[in-house]
Amino acid sequence: MAGLRDKYAIVGIGQTEFSRDSGRTTRTLAVEAVRMAMVDAGLQASEVDGMMSYSMNDSTASPVVAGDLGIRLNFYMDVSGGGSTIEALVGLAMGAIEAGMCQTVVIFRGMNGYTQNRIGGTGRQNPVFTGPMLDQAIHGMNSAAQSFAPSFMRYLYEHGVTSEQVAHVKVAHSKHASNNPKAYYPQRVTVDDVLSSRWVAKPLHLLDCCVETDNGSALIVTSADRARGLRQTPALVMGVAGRVSKLGASYHWPFGRISRVAGYHAAPIVFGQAGIGPDDVDITGSYDAFTFTTVLQLEAYGFCGEGEGGDYVSSGIIELGGARPNNTSGGHLCEGYTHGIALVAENVRQLRRQADDYCPDWSAGAHTYDYREHGCRQVRDPEITMNLGWASPATGSALIMRRP
Amino acid sequence: MAAYLGVPVEISSNDPEHLAFLKAAGKGELALQRCVNCARLRYPVGNACPFCTSLESEWSVVSGRGVIYSYEVVTQAIHPAYRSRTPYPLVLVELDEQRQIPGPDDGVRIIGTLIGADGQPESEERVAIGLRVRVQFIPLGDGMALPAFSLTDEAPEARPWRLGNPQTPSTQ
Repeated sequence: MAGLRDKYAIVGIGQTEFSRDSGRTTRTLAVEAVRMAMVDAGLQASEVDGMMSYSMNDSTASPVVAGDLGIRLNFYMDVSGGGSTIEALVGLAMGAIEAGMCQTVVIFRGMNGYTQNRIGGTGRQNPVFTGPMLDQAIHGMNSAAQSFAPSFMRYLYEHGVTSEQVAHVKVAHSKHASNNPKAYYPQRVTVDDVLSSRWVAKPLHLLDCCVETDNGSALIVTSADRARGLRQTPALVMGVAGRVSKLGASYHWPFGRISRVAGYHAAPIVFGQAGIGPDDVDITGSYDAFTFTTVLQLEAYGFCGEGEGGDYVSSGIIELGGARPNNTSGGHLCEGYTHGIALVAENVRQLRRQADDYCPDWSAGAHTYDYREHGCRQVRDPEITMNLGWASPATGSALIMRRP
Repeated sequence: MAAYLGVPVEISSNDPEHLAFLKAAGKGELALQRCVNCARLRYPVGNACPFCTSLESEWSVVSGRGVIYSYEVVTQAIHPAYRSRTPYPLVLVELDEQRQIPGPDDGVRIIGTLIGADGQPESEERVAIGLRVRVQFIPLGDGMALPAFSLTDEAPEARPWRLGNPQTPSTQ
């Protein structure tokens, strides 16, 4: 599939803290994150002319954020979406620039995911059952955990993968988080900790589920040509697949094998554009709304064979120091939850060799590569990263980036 | 006023499909949309045939019998109305009609609670992939009902599989 390999780049990233008491509006979180991304890139307000955002009707729109920062826009678009939207928006931002509508696009997600709209709680309490809620929610299948659990259960049944193997995703990501000063949950946990945590929706334990946090994050996309004059080493976009779906994506269970997720269909698109395969990827960012979402996506994109995900994630490969670390920030399970944008920001940092760990001179790219607790989380000399975005078992996105 | 677990059930006047589905259930029938063009059944309720795009469908009463394709046990309710029901097993049932159609991994699947003879959620120790089930109907009022499922005494279709030892944690 023809793409725009290496013609566009992510040139700036900005993130507020991850907390459960932001004490400010999504507008403030978004404004702060966008400004940090501009400072990071070395861009003035007059040099940003496009803006995009995504939300689940729980945030602030681009014109408000741009207005606060004195940015006059030639293009903006605010879309409905949670997980897997950020990768798609990077592609759409490239398209907007390619079409000549604008030159530099900032993309943000401002989210009070704990103090306002909780994905696992207050955001799902329907006062009345009507319309599509009559298909699923009325049965007591409201939250993401409840909605996705049958997919995970069927996977365990079909392949004999165990809860213990899958728990290694949380264990690995907690190690990464322990080397991330921003992480909301920086404590390392064990497989036993996961398996002895209370059930939420069997087969999901509490520690199989990601954290809910307040956070604002932003990325800036521009052409590779413009990127050369900016402050940071650009993360060049090699390929992107946006919100690729299975049949009947409004629910994930009516058609086909529910244990095979949408990444199966996204893989040929994104790898085709990039001209590489899974073996060429140094770091993955497989969306970890739950431990098992990471596993099923790594399988779907061919990082291991079908049914081999349990072996893959429990082998050490996905840990810092392993052959292909996943979510080096600690991810949604440990760092915080902003619907995927932070996982892309982390891979940008890795490609710059600027993981903000406990190494004193991380910003200069000086790392110890000692991955013990409160140490380093920079992967040694990564060249190619890949984000695997997840909305549901039926919808996913992907983004492959490289260092110039 | 129709309600389930105290939460109002409101069918808007421009949603005849959900009304027909729940009204049929109220009469003790599991009725699914069948495409007039290609004759395939579909679920959940939709406005076109996902196999041929035809907009025309008719309601077809099915057996309500099938096999547990997957399941979960909800132990933490998100909706306050469901807190008194936990733990409750939710089953994804593959109906006997239209098995392995159009592909070998396809079938007509329905979500529902697995309930016992008393209408309460079935004991989770009794839930397993491969077990046979039949439809039950939970009255909602206004002549409507919500489909649910119960275990039958038919032989399982495959060796029953459930999440369990050694995966069951020592503390819950």
